[in-house]
Amino acid sequence: MLSEKNRTILFMDQGVHLAPIMSGETEADGVTLINVQVRYSLRFKPEDRVAVQKLSKIDLPEKIGVSSIKNDKMVLCLGPDEWLLIADLSRKEELQQTFERISSKFVCSVVDVSHRNTGFSIRGPYAETMINTGCPLDLSIRVFPIGRCTRTVYESTEIIVLRKGEAEFHVEVWRSFAPYLSHFFEKFMMDVSVPQRETGGGK
Amino acid sequence: MLLIRCPYCEEDRPEVEFSYAGEAHIVRPVDPSLMDDAAWAEYLFVRDNARGRHYERWYHIYGCARFFNAVRDTVSDKFSMTYKMGQPRPTDAEITEANNDGLS
Amino acid sequence: MTGFRKTGCGRIAEAQVIHFTFDGKKYEGRKGDTLASALLANGVHLMGRSFKYHRPRGVMGAGSEEANALVTFDRGPGRVTPNVRATTLELFDGLVARSQNNWPNLKFDFGAINDVFSMMFPAGFYNKTFMWPKSFWDKVYEPVIRKLAGLGPAPTAADVDHYANIYRHCDVLVAGAGPAGIAAALAASETGNRVIVADEQNELGGSLLCTPGTIIDGQPAWQWLKESIEILKSRQNVTLLPRTTVIGYYHDNYLGLVERLTDHEKNLNPDKPRERMHRVRAGKVILATGSIERPLVFAGNDRPGVMLASAAQIYLNRYGVAVGNNVAVFTSHDSAYEVAFDLSDAGVNVASIIDVRPTVSEVLLEQARKRAITVQSRAVVCRTQGRLKITGVHIAQMQDQNIITRPTHIACDCLLMAGGWTPSVHLFSHSKGSLKWHDDIGASVPDLPNENAVSVGACNGTFGLTAGLDEGAIAGGGQGKFSTSATEFGRGQTWQALPTDRDPSKIKAFVDFQNDVTEKDINLAIREGFKSIEHVKRYTTTGMATDQGKTSNLNAVQIASKAIQAPVQQVGLTTFRPPYTPTSFGALVGYRAGDMFEVTRKTSIDGWAEENGAVFEPVSLWRRARYFPQGGEDMHAAVTRECEATRKGVGIFDASTLGKIEIVGPDAAKFMNLMYTNPWTMLAAGRCRYGLMLGEDGYIMDDGVIGRLADDRFHVTTTTGGAPRVLRMMEDYLQTEWPELDVWLTSTTEQWAVIALNGPHARKLLEPLVDGIELSPESFPHMAVREGTILGVETRLFRVSFSGELGFEINVPAHYGRDLWEALIKAGEGYGITPYGTETMHVLRAEKGFIIVGQDTDGTITPDDAGMSWAIGKKKLDFVGKRSLDRADIKASGRKQLVGLLTDDPDIVLEEGAHIVATSGQSVPMTMIGHVTSSYWSAALNRSIAMAVIKDGRALTGKSIYIPMPKKTHEAKICSAVFYDPKGERLNVV
Repeated sequence: MLSEKNRTILFMDQGVHLAPIMSGETEADGVTLINVQVRYSLRFKPEDRVAVQKLSKIDLPEKIGVSSIKNDKMVLCLGPDEWLLIADLSRKEELQQTFERISSKFVCSVVDVSHRNTGFSIRGPYAETMINTGCPLDLSIRVFPIGRCTRTVYESTEIIVLRKGEAEFHVEVWRSFAPYLSHFFEKFMMDVSVPQRETGGGK
Repeated sequence: MLLIRCPYCEEDRPEVEFSYAGEAHIVRPVDPSLMDDAAWAEYLFVRDNARGRHYERWYHIYGCARFFNAVRDTVSDKFSMTYKMGQPRPTDAEITEANNDGLS
Repeated sequence: MTGFRKTGCGRIAEAQVIHFTFDGKKYEGRKGDTLASALLANGVHLMGRSFKYHRPRGVMGAGSEEANALVTFDRGPGRVTPNVRATTLELFDGLVARSQNNWPNLKFDFGAINDVFSMMFPAGFYNKTFMWPKSFWDKVYEPVIRKLAGLGPAPTAADVDHYANIYRHCDVLVAGAGPAGIAAALAASETGNRVIVADEQNELGGSLLCTPGTIIDGQPAWQWLKESIEILKSRQNVTLLPRTTVIGYYHDNYLGLVERLTDHEKNLNPDKPRERMHRVRAGKVILATGSIERPLVFAGNDRPGVMLASAAQIYLNRYGVAVGNNVAVFTSHDSAYEVAFDLSDAGVNVASIIDVRPTVSEVLLEQARKRAITVQSRAVVCRTQGRLKITGVHIAQMQDQNIITRPTHIACDCLLMAGGWTPSVHLFSHSKGSLKWHDDIGASVPDLPNENAVSVGACNGTFGLTAGLDEGAIAGGGQGKFSTSATEFGRGQTWQALPTDRDPSKIKAFVDFQNDVTEKDINLAIREGFKSIEHVKRYTTTGMATDQGKTSNLNAVQIASKAIQAPVQQVGLTTFRPPYTPTSFGALVGYRAGDMFEVTRKTSIDGWAEENGAVFEPVSLWRRARYFPQGGEDMHAAVTRECEATRKGVGIFDASTLGKIEIVGPDAAKFMNLMYTNPWTMLAAGRCRYGLMLGEDGYIMDDGVIGRLADDRFHVTTTTGGAPRVLRMMEDYLQTEWPELDVWLTSTTEQWAVIALNGPHARKLLEPLVDGIELSPESFPHMAVREGTILGVETRLFRVSFSGELGFEINVPAHYGRDLWEALIKAGEGYGITPYGTETMHVLRAEKGFIIVGQDTDGTITPDDAGMSWAIGKKKLDFVGKRSLDRADIKASGRKQLVGLLTDDPDIVLEEGAHIVATSGQSVPMTMIGHVTSSYWSAALNRSIAMAVIKDGRALTGKSIYIPMPKKTHEAKICSAVFYDPKGERLNVV
């Protein structure tokens, strides 16, 4: 396979431009567009999981909704025979070699979906609330702990949510839905930037 | 919005993640060419319209992306149970037991 | 004028003075007032005109049950809200509101003539009267009815506010923060449960807010409330939501809560959402929604100044406002006595207590005597006096529902009515919980819940403070051993319509105040044969107003029950449906307003198209460039130019929206054989084939070019709109019918940007940019696919043609799409490269007779109908839809077949969808034999072309058919649908 990063003169554009308000007030909060990463949809029989893991040295969680995060490599178990691997661009060649090894030994499907999805990092005390503006899942830490991931919806848009920290989420969405999704986040950011109202009774 | 238990995710998940997929346990004939027109039309077009207990399929399209089966009461909209694709139609006793579990 | 403001009473009497405007007149109010309390403090009772008869109406209640005092709240353009209850509109400095349904003004309303002629407006009036003539429906009846009947005018400007929404989850949702709700929340939150407490009012506390004299666990009620709220606030696991109405209770403990965020704020921050919809999933729901006092039904009960006794207590003890100086009290329930005593203690003269019951408890009588209040038992207010405000009442003794004495008159400036209490079971009913009738309180209370819900306090029929607190606490998991100073909650008797000394035909005793439904209307409906309350409701419109019968339903059902002479249970109770109170569209839409209503999917090349003046069209959720006009071109000119440039030089087209599915696994070909009509086994890696997909019913469902990248890997393309349903159908068959197949499906629609190059120069343009792929016709023939790089980026390069010209489809990872597009435009300058849009794409394909699924097919077209039997693998034993193609009716003659049409007049471009008939001059209705599916001006042929489906059309080749249009009938000849280069020689350009 070819390494595009050394050879191409073409530029990549993820098609999302976040308003300044999205960057939040500190490093620890806000919404950022994650740089282009490599993504692979890995499909194989659940009974081969342990062997594939051993051969590939890629941590492949057994249970749907569980992820493994090591350095810059994340593997999300999304279905009984479906894993989404997300990694830094620099891993591309190494991963492709690994996949060739897997493909030669196991019945499987590896499909490059690097550009299909766009990733957002959502951080801050309101990260959970922001996603909950359109996502109907209970994202509280006791129900949706660190490392938990799932495919779900934001309103009518399919998304993948992964909790990376107590106040840090990684959200994936198909490329052409990314601006739409980010506009919801932008509206929410505008709302939370308005001084908080008093809760509770009385004047 | 209903909560539906996905037998693959083993979780109750919101209805918006699912898509209804028609009556369950309608098996495509192994060799359709052996069927006469009437039998084929029956397979293609004729479905139960149950008042009460209904065996049906759901698709966890915005979740694990699995099709699965469910027993739902079409009057109360209550699910008795859901089960994986390929599992046999549950018996009355199993459904009663599932209903009781749901109540406890 | 502040004579009605009572110093030392209420929670806000000493608060800051603010100003507001009602019907153009300036008034003074207090911070914390509602519009209603502030107007009452100014002695204003008259706040509206009734719906049908335009009768003057005063405020009746003090909360969201208010039926009369509906006003228009005006915050300027785009912020005008009609039908706001003055009782829930929080006052702020500068508030502007006006009354509704009157002309020229509230005090003199021309429409009140309806009241004079009210005998013309009985129940079912609309159904009976406006039947004929038909020509009057929209010209006379509707405009007149709209002008005279109705509520506030609909806003004329678009809503300028924005609205928010959020999903929330909790272990316990407490609906209503009265004493029972607070007790429930305190107990439930003690253990760390996530608790949400919602209350529709601005202050939490419910009935405690108007009973300051009560002692709870040794503390004055207001102190207990304050401390309880402090405790709840201090708990991290508790969310308190004042100004938040639980509007609906749906399946599996899913509830809708609307929180009002800005309507009460003086300084409106336009960036702040006006309302927020909380979509809550609760583990357990504790309903503590309280109860609503019922009016009594008697002659003249709607005169301004007649109001609920409970409302008077709220105005006095919460807002520090006396509802009058000389108040009469008309009651069938003990609860009114406490109100009378509070008023008396605040210095208001209580003219008399008129109690319909034969006996009154000695304790109450003693209390009345202490205050020198006269109590008349077995008495009735048989009519009221006054025009724009009550001035007095006539009181008589009664026995067995008959007046037995000559009425005596007493003067009053306010009449309180107390007809007992109706538990607010609305939410419980939304959730399909069943109700049971309790004769002793004359109301339905919750019986069996359908969800994990429990009703506590008054909404459960548990009246009395101590009992309510205890029930709430126990529901929250606590002990509930409260001690309070509250005496036992009194008793009452329910009554139907009360007697009058006047000619019954000349009086009105209202049941539903908002919809102007009287006791007589309900009786008339029963006489006319309606037996079910659901029918009575629809015939009389009782309970159908914006208040949903909060004050009227129980009176209506009891009057009906008496008239039918059947128990209430048999008459039934009308169904409660969400929302509990009127809800703004904005709250329902939330963030999804305007452009956000639905996604507009854009390809990676869309930005270039936009910058270069493309005209777009929506294709499913995508927007696609339709054509690229230059220098003022219209569509016809632009498309003609684009077509010519493509056929003679090279055109460039963004095909990224095509659906793509990667099918991988050792059984990939086997699966393809089952899903598509075509044979796939023998297709070599590196080759493509047109694939046709049927539904199991044998009709064409989708199509697309499919490339085999390796023995176990197919790159499938689908139609733009069909991508999701094709993948779904494939997954369905794979998972449920053939799970043994080792193959997986992955959507790659968005992975690839697809740029189509079509035209004789396409290869020359491409050749220098591509590495690793030999482009010569010998090594890269038509219908082949190769992997390599273009400008250093990996590509899947297809040699395919949807135009009939030499064509390539370049797939590159999507983020490179735009940059590659621009590079190709630059590289193609020397070849006159021309971007084209979907319209030109359609013309070029129609010239070649290529179908568009969904345009030339409609879900009833078989491969043979479309002339595509060649796409069926004849030796295949099975594929989806195969068996259906053998059904007798699919093989029978008389089916519509796809053909080409050439109009006799080459300049006529037929309308797509136009009907086709066999002969001209038929009379209407003509016999239709088909319709036009595609129709364009063909630049290549310099004439119009069309495709159509026509009954047995292929056998009619060469024959004339007719297309009748409004102005002219066109004649056309049936021909082959391949209009251009039928031998396909243009693909072979070197």
